[in-house]
Amino acid sequence: MSSQGMNGDSRSFGRPSGRSGGGAGGGAGAKGRDGKDGGGKRYFFRRRKVCKFCADKIDYVDYKDVKLISQFVPERGKILPRRMFGTCAEHQRKLTVAVNRARHIALLPYAAD
Amino acid sequence: MSDRIYDILFIADPNLGEPEVDALAAQVQGLAEKDGGKLQKMEKWGKKRLAYDVRRHREGYYVLLVVEGTGAMVKEVERRLKVTDGIIRYLTVRVDEELRKAERRKAQRALGEEKRRGRVGHAPARDAEVQQ
Repeated sequence: MSSQGMNGDSRSFGRPSGRSGGGAGGGAGAKGRDGKDGGGKRYFFRRRKVCKFCADKIDYVDYKDVKLISQFVPERGKILPRRMFGTCAEHQRKLTVAVNRARHIALLPYAAD
Repeated sequence: MSDRIYDILFIADPNLGEPEVDALAAQVQGLAEKDGGKLQKMEKWGKKRLAYDVRRHREGYYVLLVVEGTGAMVKEVERRLKVTDGIIRYLTVRVDEELRKAERRKAQRALGEEKRRGRVGHAPARDAEVQQ
């Protein structure tokens, strides 16, 4: 394991791309899971979610930015777990704080209906 | 110590007229300045629908003040906000630390990108990288 392998998005878990497909195209993920080509049931190919805050380089999650925050909060107003949106731990934490602040000043609901 | 920056956001009664809201905002600003605060920014968001009822109001007049000042100042401002009629909700948040952190992040990222660019075209000098 070289240190280069640890860089961000190459941490593919159930994904086949890393070894075999590699550089060419990169989008050929649905094929050849761990060498087993073809036969048998194929797993769903799930695109790896990337933390939107990281991707957009948002360092400060502002509670006043309702437009941004509400993307991560469904109508009911619940904060969903990280796995739903793929936010990284750090940004999820910041998001939670921002949501709670926004709730206090009635920009977001505590619970609708 | 006194270079803390606070967001002071309050919601005024929607039944008030615009001049009255302005007066409230000026009042809060005066309070902050009395205790050594410096106003950096004032934003009036206007009448907005509240996400839920606050003191039987469905709407509210949002006013945001960004003030540089001390904790004592905020304490006093909060005390007054609490007892002022016409203010149905308020929120004060210290923002300077977070913003500073964000800024540092940004700077670091810019640095990292430069490094990466520098590497392109050169043979990967592993030892040099480790040293850094």
